[in-house]
Amino acid sequence: MSGARKVSIMSTLWSVMRKELLEISRDRRTFFFSLLLMPLLIPVFLLGGGALVQNKARTQMDKVLEVPVQGAERAPNLVAFLGAHGIVAVDPPQDVEVAIARQDVEVALYIHEDFASDWRAGRPALVEILSDSTRQNAQIPVQRLTAALNGYGAQVGMLRLMARGIDPAVTRSVTVGTRDMASAEAKRGILLSALLPYLLIITAFLGGAALIMDATAGERERQSLEPLLATPAQRSAVVSGKIAAACAMGLFSLLLTLLAFKASAVLAGSRGQMLDVSFLAIAKMLLVLLPMLFIGTALLTYLAASSKSMKEAQTHMTWLMLLPMVPTLMLMVNPVKAELWQFAVPFLAQNQLLTKVIRAEFIDPQVWGLYLLASFGLAAVLWFAAVRRYHQERLAISA
Amino acid sequence: MIIANDLHKSFKTKSGIVNAVDGVSFEARDGEITGLLGPNGAGKTTTMRMLYTLMKPDRGQVLVDGMDCALDPIGVRRALGVLPDARGVYKRLTARENIAYFGELHGLSAARIAERTAALSAALDMGDILERQTEGFSQGQRTKTAIARALVHDPRNVILDEPTNGLDVMTTRAMRGFLRQLREEGRCVIFSSHIMQEVAALCDRIVIIARGSVVATGSADELRALTGEENLEDAFVKAIGSEEGLFA
Repeated sequence: MSGARKVSIMSTLWSVMRKELLEISRDRRTFFFSLLLMPLLIPVFLLGGGALVQNKARTQMDKVLEVPVQGAERAPNLVAFLGAHGIVAVDPPQDVEVAIARQDVEVALYIHEDFASDWRAGRPALVEILSDSTRQNAQIPVQRLTAALNGYGAQVGMLRLMARGIDPAVTRSVTVGTRDMASAEAKRGILLSALLPYLLIITAFLGGAALIMDATAGERERQSLEPLLATPAQRSAVVSGKIAAACAMGLFSLLLTLLAFKASAVLAGSRGQMLDVSFLAIAKMLLVLLPMLFIGTALLTYLAASSKSMKEAQTHMTWLMLLPMVPTLMLMVNPVKAELWQFAVPFLAQNQLLTKVIRAEFIDPQVWGLYLLASFGLAAVLWFAAVRRYHQERLAISA
Repeated sequence: MIIANDLHKSFKTKSGIVNAVDGVSFEARDGEITGLLGPNGAGKTTTMRMLYTLMKPDRGQVLVDGMDCALDPIGVRRALGVLPDARGVYKRLTARENIAYFGELHGLSAARIAERTAALSAALDMGDILERQTEGFSQGQRTKTAIARALVHDPRNVILDEPTNGLDVMTTRAMRGFLRQLREEGRCVIFSSHIMQEVAALCDRIVIIARGSVVATGSADELRALTGEENLEDAFVKAIGSEEGLFA
């Protein structure tokens, strides 16, 4: 009777991991959904979203801009000049301000009552651009109109000086030029640099969520935890096996996501070239995201293990989804220079590093060192906390 | 052989401290079936959880084959086969995979697991369900799977919490036969129940628990003699001092 021998932690871990993976693979829908959602979503964002933004910009730049002009009769030359630059004056609606508020009109022009008399007298004649600066849609039309008006003003001014026998160059004491120092790669990456890191971080952070919640809170709810804990299996090995299974699944999903990212960047043609998707870059991204996978899975294990039911465990998902956004939002409100300490802060570090990788910027070995140390350290602490949870007496008691 | 020595366990609840187990001692010998009999809420499950090391007693000691639960919980678990009150089987695994998983956790080789699965399947008559996923199993099929899983490592001591709960008459009869077989094999079997006839029919020794304490111990005959009642049920009611919880 017996024949039971001492079981090593590794073989228990391996048994638990294999069993959890077998179990979830039999749950086809959950399995494929959690594995393939992100790999399918990334190309949609990348190809669809990118195309949408570029299309919008192109059509807004090229198409004839219709601008309601109040008092067009006071400045026929100006209106003709605008017309030559693709900006057509149309009759203004009854109340321009209301029309802008209702978003019927993106930008309008008001030519002041005294325009004609000021003009003839050689005084600065007043025109006003009306728009809502908080509306992104209005940005390009306003830029176009402003540029055209400035062009008209400069042209007429020069003609006036020349008519008086003065070289127009004397009025320009300083010539301001701009040279954008952003690298070409960085410029191209700007569109995706905000969204992509978040998507990738979420994929890593919650990649193992479906499995780990099922294997912890779900196991407890289905009352199979008590028999499991009555076996001689080491609890640390049981927890680690579950975490390992979730991480294996998360890693697989992450790999698919990164490959989908690479594939869609290639498919996107010229737009895709704005991103560094060499295999080296993909490998770097994987290295950045790997600790995130451990952190997320261990944190979920800790939270879900103490939940009484699957339902309770799932309530954690809402704030966990928002968590990776916090540093992005903070950076948007209060942009800070990249400093070394930031690479020890979870989410902020991944965000910064991924952006750097995508923009093909050099990452200091010191930064890598600090990042890997801090993030794997945090993962270890969370893992330890999850193991402690499994040693609690009340955990085993389901009802 | 399992010895429980003056076990105490209390829980903090919203309404105060509940002494779930308040001085339970008994001895369960090899080759005997020991029945823990008591009304619902008497502390049977908590007592058993202390026996299989899931809970630590506040006071008292449990010895399994001479091993102290507090000092060598893993050694104790290796010597025990446990069917807990919560007996969820993994729904997406087949009965065989359920059994094999626990076999692996006990460190058995694949060959040994196959051998034990065949033996248990024959004893519990589960040949037709062995390769099926347990999703949709009847209560009896689930209990059989859970028992086979609990006994895969061929333990010398077997603890079963209300093993016949929710089973139909035929399955219950088969289960009793199985428990007797475990006794014939020389194992120490402890099972809990609140059903009088079952305990009377099966047990060599009966431990009656009420309100967290042992109120009487002995064979069915000894209990009848002790309480001066002919009928075991009357003896039981007399021993626990009320009819509370008996019909729940």
